[in-house]
Amino acid sequence: MSEESGVALESATEDDIDDKPILKPEEPSLPPGEWVRKNLFNGFFNSVLTVLTVFLMAIAARGLLNYVFSEERVWSAPATNARLILTFAYPDSQYARVWVTVGLLAVLTGTSIGLWAQWAGVSAKKLCFWSMNLGSAILLSIVLTQPGVHRDAAGEVLRDADSDVIRKSFSTAMSDRLVWWIVGLAFIGAGLLAWNWLGEMRRRTIRVPSSFLIFGSLGLVVLSLWVVNYGHYAFIDGEFIAISGRTVATTTKQPWTLMWLILVGSFFLGRQIRKTERASSVKGLLNLGWLLSPFVIYWVILRDPAIDYSHVWSTDLPLFLAFAIGGGAVLWLLSYPGIGEAGRLAGVGLVVVAIFQFVAAFAGWYPMLQKVRLSFVLLALLGLAASNFSGERSQRIRFVGVWFVLAALLHYFATVMNAPATVDVVSENFTGGLTVTLFVTALTLMISFPLGVVLALGRTSSLPIFRIMSTTYIESIRGVPLITILFFFSNILPLFLPDGMDIAEFAAIILGYSLFSAAYLAENVRGGLQAIRRGQYEAADALGLTSPQRTSFIVLPQALRISIPPLVGQVIGTFKETSLIAIIGGFDLLRIGNQVIPAQTQFLGIKRENLLIVAAMYWVITFAISKYSMRLERRLGVGER
Amino acid sequence: MNKRFIWRAIAVALSFTLLASACGDDGDDITATPTTTEATDDATTTTAAATTTTEGDDPVVTVQGGGILQTVIDRGTLNCGVSGAAVAFSETQPDGSTTGFDADYCRAIAAAVLGDSTAVAFVALTAAERFTAVQTGDVDVLIRNTTATQSRDTDVGMDFGPTTYYDGQQIMARESAGFDSASQVADLDGAVVCTNAGTTTEKNISDAADAAGITITLTTFEDYDIVMDNFVSGACDAVTTDGSGLVGRKAKQETAGENWVIFPATPISKEPLGPTYGQNDSEWADVVNWTVFATIIADEKGITSANAADMAATPPDAEVGRLLGGEGEIQSVMGLSADAFLNVIAQVGNYDEIYTRNLGPVGLTREGSANAGWLDGGLLYAPPAR
Repeated sequence: MSEESGVALESATEDDIDDKPILKPEEPSLPPGEWVRKNLFNGFFNSVLTVLTVFLMAIAARGLLNYVFSEERVWSAPATNARLILTFAYPDSQYARVWVTVGLLAVLTGTSIGLWAQWAGVSAKKLCFWSMNLGSAILLSIVLTQPGVHRDAAGEVLRDADSDVIRKSFSTAMSDRLVWWIVGLAFIGAGLLAWNWLGEMRRRTIRVPSSFLIFGSLGLVVLSLWVVNYGHYAFIDGEFIAISGRTVATTTKQPWTLMWLILVGSFFLGRQIRKTERASSVKGLLNLGWLLSPFVIYWVILRDPAIDYSHVWSTDLPLFLAFAIGGGAVLWLLSYPGIGEAGRLAGVGLVVVAIFQFVAAFAGWYPMLQKVRLSFVLLALLGLAASNFSGERSQRIRFVGVWFVLAALLHYFATVMNAPATVDVVSENFTGGLTVTLFVTALTLMISFPLGVVLALGRTSSLPIFRIMSTTYIESIRGVPLITILFFFSNILPLFLPDGMDIAEFAAIILGYSLFSAAYLAENVRGGLQAIRRGQYEAADALGLTSPQRTSFIVLPQALRISIPPLVGQVIGTFKETSLIAIIGGFDLLRIGNQVIPAQTQFLGIKRENLLIVAAMYWVITFAISKYSMRLERRLGVGER
Repeated sequence: MNKRFIWRAIAVALSFTLLASACGDDGDDITATPTTTEATDDATTTTAAATTTTEGDDPVVTVQGGGILQTVIDRGTLNCGVSGAAVAFSETQPDGSTTGFDADYCRAIAAAVLGDSTAVAFVALTAAERFTAVQTGDVDVLIRNTTATQSRDTDVGMDFGPTTYYDGQQIMARESAGFDSASQVADLDGAVVCTNAGTTTEKNISDAADAAGITITLTTFEDYDIVMDNFVSGACDAVTTDGSGLVGRKAKQETAGENWVIFPATPISKEPLGPTYGQNDSEWADVVNWTVFATIIADEKGITSANAADMAATPPDAEVGRLLGGEGEIQSVMGLSADAFLNVIAQVGNYDEIYTRNLGPVGLTREGSANAGWLDGGLLYAPPAR
């Protein structure tokens, strides 16, 4: 799925809605024979290299194909356990919640693509090539895969006297694969026909919209659920039924069809909004939606918290109102234009108060709800920033409004997260499989990215105290292996917490990942900061910008643009490092494939198939991320300017 | 003007602090009662899952008030620690449910305490986490194919219940290599024996080889699937681990045309597996122990999930009547309902049913093994219910 979208995105750099695509002039393509001679056999050494490489690639492909299509493989193990791999032991009765989650993500994705995507479409030339390449790949696979085995009526593999399997003859095997011959030849034929039918010029100018390609190919995948016999794996009244050679269960194909419709529908919605004047405010809302989505999905939709409403009325709501109104009044005063240095002092005072609450907690002087302490932190942060928002009445009102919204979100999520879940699931970490991998990645990046930028700025700061603190942090975290940090946060941190304070394993894991990732991100961003030339700083100073303005408007945008390649590398690294959760007791993709499925009686010891599938899942997601980053780099002109 | 501003701001901030702390106090008072802890817990706001430890609960001294039994009854579910990845003992099924021998004992305890065998929250634990989870009270009972040993029992914070499965380390080899079920460790002289690294099985087999006066080549691998791959490919002449594991592997992975044999008949180690629970809570210990005993007595007396209700109505003898709650107050004295064990047998089954349901499919039989009843020459023996 992501792979296809990635491929389609490749050639697209411009907007197919607002602007006409600006196409680079293409070099006239050589005839195939000429191209091969020029690129593959243009000398003795190169010819040898070509032959050798093709030979090695064929051997590797043959090995992989024989492995995948071997009669010994039990692909029903990962197929039957697809649900376990994706969501671990999420209860069957509550599975609608998972679909709501997927639907929500489909809405966000579709609308975002509709609003932001800038696609030039794929040229007909490329499509012809793809079709021919795909056809050739299919034909090659048919020839390279070893002949199948003879089976008896019950599907058991027949063996000879030495209990070796009996393989079919090569010609029988080839004729068995007739359908695939036809499919492969059809792709090549279609490509060639289109190639000849379109003239040289039109081949380049005719472009198929990328949206059509992406949603079309996704649609084909969804359609195939209804037609192709992938195997039927269903839960009926808690009884698990697995039948191979049937179309997938209705409970699977119906929701996926619905999800596809939602995705396409919200894409067109996004396109419509894009044409209106409200586009920019909808973009803001979408950004907020993406930011909040991990929290809403994880703690509200998937956990279904049992909120104690009497407690909400008696404590939570009054507490929130007290904070919102009291804090609002403080911020209103602090953003008064004439307050000057006194405002900064008061801001620092608020920070001291906030820190004091935590000191008191660790010393056990007086008890207090954790969210009250966190509210003080939030108030202190806004208090420090207040002087930047002083000015017009309306601006101050907006500033206080931001505080209201932030405080409301903080209090709401604090209440929700501390309410017990009503959905029963195995393991303390609440969920597992791909879900936990994605949530840990998303939350880690959300926390570590701002922290990393702050650390990078601190390390390049001219104030020694910030520089020393940042450098110490970065160097000490980078000097410790990630697994050590994870062990520390999951096993040792709870011992340091004061009586009555408790941290869930999941939160501890995310904290560990975030602090680790931030140190590396900081170094990546610092690389970008160092690439900014002196002149940029001087120009900003000449314009009379203050140093925060210079940093946020001149330096950081350029630095972040430069550091996109290493930042994406860090994102991919974080995503893959989540497999370490398996070692500290979580049920992530790796542990499910490696330990849980091989421990099922019917799939005892079946491990390689699961691991191959898990590896493929990691690859697809990682590839999608790097494709996206390549696109981003091209759009922002990294490496060109 | 400016000065007045600072003071006003500071005054507001301070009064605000006081107000908030006062409200905070409010919340904390409520947390003193364990049942509402979860809603108002002083947990960090990033707390992901419902935490079950109660406020200020010193993990080691768990005896207070109602103890674990009362906690479980108040909570309405039993937190049961299992492996989640142990063949036939606790498997996570494709639909996310947990099945197996250990899982069924969790269900039996839930049926006894809460009257509902489905009121179990399975907590999947790694081998490294399991004892901490018992000590901190994260799980009420741990049934995770855990061998009872002296050092574990005397370790702070844990007690062992009665053995539910008598396991022991054995060896598996090919018949074609000259082994049969009557083989002994001594017959392994010069063989390549494989097992997984860093476990007691490694030590047991080398001790046994020393005792038999033979030399073996011991090869270890990181996990047991790789051990089996090497056995199948012929790189290992023999493999060794607990008997229950070997039988399962033989049933599922025996290569066509080969015959794998498991020996010696008397295992080279004792691995009694049973439930583990927090220390010094004898009320809870009684509940767990007698739930296990009830399944064993029911097996002895022929009470099954099918006939339990009839047996309770017309008990064939006095002990069955007492066990199923017809007569006397013995369950009530334990803090359970009178029909607690009737629920266990009716909803989960007796020992034989639990055994056959879970261990039958991997080829383990009770007959002739240590897990047969004492009347059939096995070790399973429960004190009388009276």
